[in-house]
Amino acid sequence: MISLPSYLFLSFALFIAGIAVMVARKNIIAIMLGIELILNSAALNFAAYTRFANDNIDGHLMSLFIIVIAAAEAAVGLAIVIRFFQIKETIHIDDAAQLQN
Amino acid sequence: MFNDTFFLLSAGLTLAGALGVVFTKNLMHACVMLLGTLFGVAGLYACIGADFLAASQLVIYAGGVVILMLFAVMLTGGSSDQANKFGIEKIAGMGNTKTYIFAGVSVAVISLTLLKIMAGYMKTFEQGELPPLTSTVEEIGTLLVTDHVLAFEISSILLLGALVGAAAIARPRKG
Repeated sequence: MISLPSYLFLSFALFIAGIAVMVARKNIIAIMLGIELILNSAALNFAAYTRFANDNIDGHLMSLFIIVIAAAEAAVGLAIVIRFFQIKETIHIDDAAQLQN
Repeated sequence: MFNDTFFLLSAGLTLAGALGVVFTKNLMHACVMLLGTLFGVAGLYACIGADFLAASQLVIYAGGVVILMLFAVMLTGGSSDQANKFGIEKIAGMGNTKTYIFAGVSVAVISLTLLKIMAGYMKTFEQGELPPLTSTVEEIGTLLVTDHVLAFEISSILLLGALVGAAAIARPRKG
């Protein structure tokens, strides 16, 4: 039951869900939820390979750094979203087109 | 027996939360579903003996990131006009049928590619004898200040920069 293929499948499902969220949503915060899902799938893969195919613990440290970087990314991203909302009064991704036209 | 039940519970929570994030129409609900997924991933970490990772996942994600997201939703939510400045009707913030079709196509392409890569590995994979689960905290602490000390210090600078940068970006400007 608890095996490498099942963990790879779970990580695959999380990654796919993150991609779907990022493509389907038009709300910036919803897109950031998708990014969190993808980062979690990557960290889960590192931890799973540490357990099943490796005898050192460096993968745990990689997962830890992924978690730290995800926290920093969420803080800065949400600050940008709030600043964008102060200026444009919206968080729709299609309104962030100032460099386009 | 207990381990298998716990694993099934965590995996179900993870998958259900991920599906909820994909399909719900309410941003607040999506954040709560993401919380469920993160709890599930913490349980999955616990199943493979990554105790420190499971604890950090709970503390940082559930205690920090999701609360931050909920605050951002509450600070920015509400006002959503239906047309842009040219009078063209906008796509709904949480997506409509067209964006879901695009998402389905891209997901199909990416999942077929990944499954093609994973299939050969899955077929030939054989699990050897697994070592018993032990506590990883001491080893992680030792490695953080020996082998990975550079990444550790850089991540502290990164966190400081993110903190100051987030405060500087989001502060209200006068005039």
